[in-house]
Amino acid sequence: MRQLPGLLLVLLLWEGAARLLAGSFLLAGPVDVTLYIAQNAELLGRALAVTLGEAALGYVIGNAVAILLAILVILLPRMEALIGAVALLVFCLPLVATGPILRVLWGPGIGPQVTLAALAVYYTTFVTLVVGLRAAPRSWFDLVDSYGRGPWTALVTVRLHAALPYLFAGLQIAAPAAFLGAMVGEFTGAERGMGVLAIRAMRALDVDATWALATLAAGVSILIYAALGALGTRLFPDRPALILATGGGSARGGPLPALGLALASVAAMAVIWWALMEGFALNSFFAKRPDDVWVFLVTAPEAAANRATLAAAFGETLRFTLPGYGLGLALGAGLAALFTLAPRFAGAALPVAIALRAIPIVTTAPLIVLALGRGAVGTVTIVAVMIFFPTLVACLQGMRQTPGQVLDVFDSYAAGRLSRLALAQIPAMLPAFFAAARMAVPAAILAVTVAEWLATGTGLGNLMALTASTSDYGMLWSATALVTLTAGLGYAAVALIEGVVLARMAPEQRR
Amino acid sequence: MDIATLSRRRLLQAGAATAGLGLLGRPALAATPVTFQLSWLQSVQFGGSYIAKSAGYWTDEGLDVALAPGGPNAPVEPPVVAGTALMGISAADYTAAAVANGAPFKILLVAMQKNPFTIASLPANPVNEPADLVGKRIGMATANTPVLKALCDINDVDINEIEIVPTQYDAAPLVAGQVDCLLCWLTDLPIAMTMQGVENVTMLMADYGYAVHSQTYIATEDSIANRRAELVALLKGEVAGWNDYLADPFAAAKLTVEMFPDAGLDIETQQLQAVAQVPLMFSQLTDENGFGWWTDETVAANIETLALLGRDVTPDLWDRTILEEVHGT
Repeated sequence: MRQLPGLLLVLLLWEGAARLLAGSFLLAGPVDVTLYIAQNAELLGRALAVTLGEAALGYVIGNAVAILLAILVILLPRMEALIGAVALLVFCLPLVATGPILRVLWGPGIGPQVTLAALAVYYTTFVTLVVGLRAAPRSWFDLVDSYGRGPWTALVTVRLHAALPYLFAGLQIAAPAAFLGAMVGEFTGAERGMGVLAIRAMRALDVDATWALATLAAGVSILIYAALGALGTRLFPDRPALILATGGGSARGGPLPALGLALASVAAMAVIWWALMEGFALNSFFAKRPDDVWVFLVTAPEAAANRATLAAAFGETLRFTLPGYGLGLALGAGLAALFTLAPRFAGAALPVAIALRAIPIVTTAPLIVLALGRGAVGTVTIVAVMIFFPTLVACLQGMRQTPGQVLDVFDSYAAGRLSRLALAQIPAMLPAFFAAARMAVPAAILAVTVAEWLATGTGLGNLMALTASTSDYGMLWSATALVTLTAGLGYAAVALIEGVVLARMAPEQRR
Repeated sequence: MDIATLSRRRLLQAGAATAGLGLLGRPALAATPVTFQLSWLQSVQFGGSYIAKSAGYWTDEGLDVALAPGGPNAPVEPPVVAGTALMGISAADYTAAAVANGAPFKILLVAMQKNPFTIASLPANPVNEPADLVGKRIGMATANTPVLKALCDINDVDINEIEIVPTQYDAAPLVAGQVDCLLCWLTDLPIAMTMQGVENVTMLMADYGYAVHSQTYIATEDSIANRRAELVALLKGEVAGWNDYLADPFAAAKLTVEMFPDAGLDIETQQLQAVAQVPLMFSQLTDENGFGWWTDETVAANIETLALLGRDVTPDLWDRTILEEVHGT
């Protein structure tokens, strides 16, 4: 009920914008969208069932892998950097490179759609869950230690319980991503589904159909998101309040071992890359190995020209990624703070935030570009829209973890909302914020390459999309390696800052 | 009228197929499974192939053909190189690029004699000939800059006088006034505009010297050597299907919509597209020699345009021996 005024406002603004843009074939309002859905209910229903099925399968598989990986990381802490980095690198692989390979591997059918849905969800769940598995008071582990039990007991009796709210946050964030992953998977050559209809509608200049599909996709994502949220609240009516209890965490490692691990993970990734392609005997015409990329960029006669092309595109991409990344994080954290100060506002605004994230970027990109231009502002906005929502959810979740006793102390001193926010809730939020900030690195790069591919025709996204007509797979895989490495480096940089900040503000995370 | 004749046709086809089975008493021989990789989502663009499938032209040849759809992220060349598809639908420029990057392809059949690339504009500010491009903003993928450059070179237009605006591939930027014209296919965006009631002007680049075979069927040298019989059978069915298509494009449109009820196809759009691609695919050359034909002269013209696109190819890229076997020449 609290959401009602917000929803009504959104519908009104939407219809108004559509009337304003009438005749431009860019936006259809809620009235036309409803009419279209009513008139084509059967077709849309079948498409929705197909894509939902693909997304559901990918969601289950992706999250199961995420849970296994997170448990592995906790049981083998020494392997964390390696597993985490490889998991990140796989998540960063651009669709333009993986799509055709998945299609060759799976053949006709839903294989690539399910795989891309799984790839779209597993990393966010993994990262959130690892934070959660650590979010238990030091004293509980001391108790496990004093009984002479090992990491397995700690995992089962302490960590899993502490992690459940986090797992639910992760599962909630993952739901819209699975749906989008399945839709984009249909771009690799599918007979049916929402993605197929979306391509067709855009080509046909059928703006009612385009926005009906976008609305359905967003609506379904929001419903699933809300249902999972309701389930979470029901399952954990009183969430553990002791999460931020202090303890003597020991800060392990430093920049130097971190560098070593980064190198090791890059090497591991190269081995996996090579082994997968050899294992599936993929033809080296389109499935370039690490050594092919080396030849392309270093030893081939035209290597210098190749490097120059790649570097120019990389520069264009970075120019848009960095401001979009900063803006998205600031918006996410800022809105979370605002919602905590004014919880009633959150009820109205949260659905809008989810909708913005859940509407397929393929549909919104042209509209954002129309509104803000094909230059920097449009692309930066697309990046920010893509990452601010997971940041917002994570930060809200983090603030809710503020221990009740701490808040009681503030209340007993009649402290204001602002000082409560600054001194208790924001520090409590930091672990979740940094988890989101790390997660946002690959999301930002994916968003910018999609925008470049679909709208602006610049940068690495465009360079990779060119492959479809030029068969320049050496360039595609060089760009893929560069994108992946950049994401890894960005991630490592955020992790470094995180280590410094959390050592002061949330030492239990350093365990 | 149309509907009556169509259903009669289908009845006859169905009857013939059943009768054939009965008379020959052919045991259910395991047909050889073959995948044919299409270059885009299912639509009447591949109408002749659908006819071949539904009329049983491939079954008659002992093939069980799967028509694999393409999409925005589904390049044709990888599955053909990998062998998951026996044959794929490419274009001479794409094939030339793939060969330059090490793919052992040959062109076996040219379905679109005329390249479908078109400059689409609005009647208030039309592009009727290449010279009209001067001073215009053209919306296109930057990937296609060499295409525009080639058109300009052939027609003595200075490409620097044209402002290239990178856009996604749909007609909205033109209709919304962000650009003055679009580089697109004759058979998709202009038809979409017509269907939405937006009057438009088209200039087919093939009419101004841009000679690049499109919708070319490609296979690897290995397949040509070792799976020749299957390729001959596949092309036989194709030729029969496209001959039926020419006789009645509306029937092909109807069949397309019926075969793919989940594809969101609209019968009117499919009919317009079916008719629009006829002049691109059929000509005096194909009337005289059969569907998919080419000559040394058309290849020479292609090689000239491909050179302007930065692709140096020889006539070896085309291999007509299989098509000759199909047409019995």
